[in-house]
Amino acid sequence: MASCGGGGGECHQSHCQRSEEDGGAEEETRERVASLSFAGDSPTSSATGDGALERCTKCGETVAAAAPRAVNGLCAACFRAYLFGKFKLAVTTNAMISPTDNVLVAFSGGPASRIALQFVHEMQCISLKNWDASKSQALPVFGVGVAFIDESAISIGPLHEMNKVIAQIRSIVSTLSPAHKELHIAPIENICSTSSNDGRIRLNELLDSVTDATGKEDFMKYLRMLTLQKIALDNGYSKLLLGSCTSTIACHVISATVKGQGYSLPGDVQYVDARWEVPVVLPLRDCTAEELNKLCHLDGLELLQLIKRPSNSINSLVSSFVARLRDENPSRERTIVRTAEKLRPFCFNKFVENTYHEFVPSRLRCKFQNINNSETALSEVLCPLCGSPLSEPEVQSLRNIQEKTQTPVENFAAHCCQSCSFQILPKGAESLQQFYTVLPQSVTVRVTDGTSDHSQLGELIDDYLLVVDDDDDDGT
Amino acid sequence: MEEGGATARPRRATGRLCSTCNQRKAALKRPKTLEQICRECFYSVFEDEIHNVIMDNNLFKPGERVAVAASGGKDSTVLAYVMSELNRRHNYGLDLFLLSVDEGITGYRDDSLETVKRNEIEYGLPLKVVSYKDLYGWTMDEIVKTIGLKNNCTFCGVFRRQALDRGAALLKADKLVTGHNADDIAETVLLNILRGDIARLSRCTFITTGEDGPIPRCKPFKYTYEKEIVMYAYFKKLDYFSTECIYSPNAYRGFAREFIKDLERMRPRAILDIIRSGENFRTATSTKMPEQGTCERCGYISSQKLCKACLLLEGLNRGLPKLGIGRARGTNGLNKRVEQRNLRSERTGSNIESKQCGTLDF
Amino acid sequence: MHLTLEFGGGLELLCQSTKIHSVDVKPKPGEDKLTMRDLLVWVESNLIKERPEMFMKGDSVRPGVLVLINDCDWELCGSLDTELEEKDNVVFISTLHGG
Repeated sequence: MASCGGGGGECHQSHCQRSEEDGGAEEETRERVASLSFAGDSPTSSATGDGALERCTKCGETVAAAAPRAVNGLCAACFRAYLFGKFKLAVTTNAMISPTDNVLVAFSGGPASRIALQFVHEMQCISLKNWDASKSQALPVFGVGVAFIDESAISIGPLHEMNKVIAQIRSIVSTLSPAHKELHIAPIENICSTSSNDGRIRLNELLDSVTDATGKEDFMKYLRMLTLQKIALDNGYSKLLLGSCTSTIACHVISATVKGQGYSLPGDVQYVDARWEVPVVLPLRDCTAEELNKLCHLDGLELLQLIKRPSNSINSLVSSFVARLRDENPSRERTIVRTAEKLRPFCFNKFVENTYHEFVPSRLRCKFQNINNSETALSEVLCPLCGSPLSEPEVQSLRNIQEKTQTPVENFAAHCCQSCSFQILPKGAESLQQFYTVLPQSVTVRVTDGTSDHSQLGELIDDYLLVVDDDDDDGT
Repeated sequence: MEEGGATARPRRATGRLCSTCNQRKAALKRPKTLEQICRECFYSVFEDEIHNVIMDNNLFKPGERVAVAASGGKDSTVLAYVMSELNRRHNYGLDLFLLSVDEGITGYRDDSLETVKRNEIEYGLPLKVVSYKDLYGWTMDEIVKTIGLKNNCTFCGVFRRQALDRGAALLKADKLVTGHNADDIAETVLLNILRGDIARLSRCTFITTGEDGPIPRCKPFKYTYEKEIVMYAYFKKLDYFSTECIYSPNAYRGFAREFIKDLERMRPRAILDIIRSGENFRTATSTKMPEQGTCERCGYISSQKLCKACLLLEGLNRGLPKLGIGRARGTNGLNKRVEQRNLRSERTGSNIESKQCGTLDF
Repeated sequence: MHLTLEFGGGLELLCQSTKIHSVDVKPKPGEDKLTMRDLLVWVESNLIKERPEMFMKGDSVRPGVLVLINDCDWELCGSLDTELEEKDNVVFISTLHGG
């Protein structure tokens, strides 16, 4: 686990070597940086010894002074290679993408998901090239699609703004060639109803019944995930790739702690999260928002200007706290994530081994075969409102309540974690009933069969009955 | 209203009634439950909750000799008062005494010690004072004269922790109770996350620590909000000392503390939620505590050859006060490994945490 | 309007170590009522001599400073919007100083 991090801020040799495949893109960057630096800082730096020009601490090539210092002493090309290296390392060591995969990239228009999209695209290009070159062409090349969630149903912005944004996304995705990428734009209200109008009404009613500002935000985040899951399922994707970076994860670590979700926290901060129907992967976990911003800037990547809703939630209090800590010490975010990393993850934080190990380079295989399955899936009951595994006391109280309750609403409420019960579930039987009635089926269905997730049932059967030839899609 | 109710006069037609007794006027809003409650009901619920924490966690056994760490500040003053009260009311059968540490800071500690001395009389608890001068041969005034105002909090913190343990051992105590409240513990949880200190993270929410050592410590205020402690002291007119340490007047301006207070305003239960998170963290069972040995010079528990206090003292006495602080360079070859280990825990920025001073560290 | 203001828990250090202040505060011009919001502004500019950030944050007291109006938690009587009356007694206590 610790070996995957690409430790700290320093740059390891392997990350920075420029692979031939990336050559084109990097040359471009190098030029851009050169022009940037000439335009900006004239060689005023009075460095002694090596002369007026700064050297990249990696490749040793001299570059004008302005740019390298902005990127940890690396020249733009090495900086780029360093970030791509972290991405690639995360992907390969965790077997995130196998050749048969169809990967859906969640794109919000921000720098993190923009870089995620860019890197996945580049990786796909490399694979395509290798495929073309190989004689047997036995292994296929993974597919890539892009998902964008249209939240205009709940935002204040005018409709034509959204049309503009969507046009912009189309143009971004269309530039990512070769290899066509399907673009899926899903209105968030689709999760509530197939009819757009009805969906809007239901979604707004649902959100209005959540009075806590933080609860509302977290619930929205969950609906977003369900929407992405639905897109992925409906269109045959086998992986969902998110742009969560060190900074967003650091904020999540603090927020979850503050909301009393310490037990479930480690499940959210791993590279792999297979508790969903379509497993989620986080290949940018080791890059900070600052690094990703910088790269977007250096590469001139187009970002979307989405209006941010003003918020006085705990989440925004936490992000200003983390921002303040970062100003005081730039490596603080990494430390926070590293702390959470040392907590014990859940069994859903890895892929089911037999599906993937054949594609993993042999040196890594042992990692997937020696998984100690001491913790059975049985122990995890997931909260239907956030997906968090319930802690032991929570499960205990669920069992106690289950002995008495009969109605579906009561049963549903009993399955919610303490945090969601407080910040999302409406108080009072009547409003609770109303809330339950408007909830999307994809949420309510998560408690009907006792355990929250079908995949866990599958794993369970595997574990206990030793069913070998399970033709069902293991990724579910 | 028995005590100090003189200033309250009937007014403000909107004055609400206590949600517990429905008779008297509410005096405060409880952060834990958001109930509005009158003074009398507040006193009993405040004391009962602490009693329940003590009983549920089996903090004490009858006949035990218990040292109450007393700094003269709000938490320890209320702790001394409540412990003495509960011991009497519920027949705990404890032999309680106040234990204070005199750091030797003129104009600060000598004043707060006066407060503790008044408490000694009022609560009928004997007071024992152990001083840095007696234990280490140095007062904080002398240390600051030697090393200046940088790192002085490190010395003070390390010395105080040992001083309490040694004082308690000297006075044959079976247990030491400290006034750490829920806000303090929530802050410690956050700080340990910010520092990546997983070993401390898993321990810092324990209500009792050091059970394997000579003097276990426990925190009866683990679930008690700071707001309630201060309100209790105010309503009961308890005499406490709140001047800041003259050597570190800004020590309480920590980011983490401010964050917790902001959080409390937004969602009071967040403080207890942080503690609950701390209790439920899935820390790997293999997370090893450093091996406990003893200091070869003073015999105090230490994972190193020399305990931290002896290392700092060594520096002071040899005129190398940076020993055990700062970087490994320039230490004239003394036990570098020890030093680097120590350094690891000292390196964190001082401005993220609050109250290194005036409080007892974990 | 005559008021008694009391600073405790270390806040007195911000106003020259005087705990109790007997003061006259006038409502804002054109208004006949004095709210806590107004009083805080007045206190900050008239009584607090150093480190005002230890007392105020935004337009309210810094989180961690307790306020009692006639010995009643101000959270029960409307916090910033509480209207003050003649001879009211307002207490500010910091919880932020050492334990």
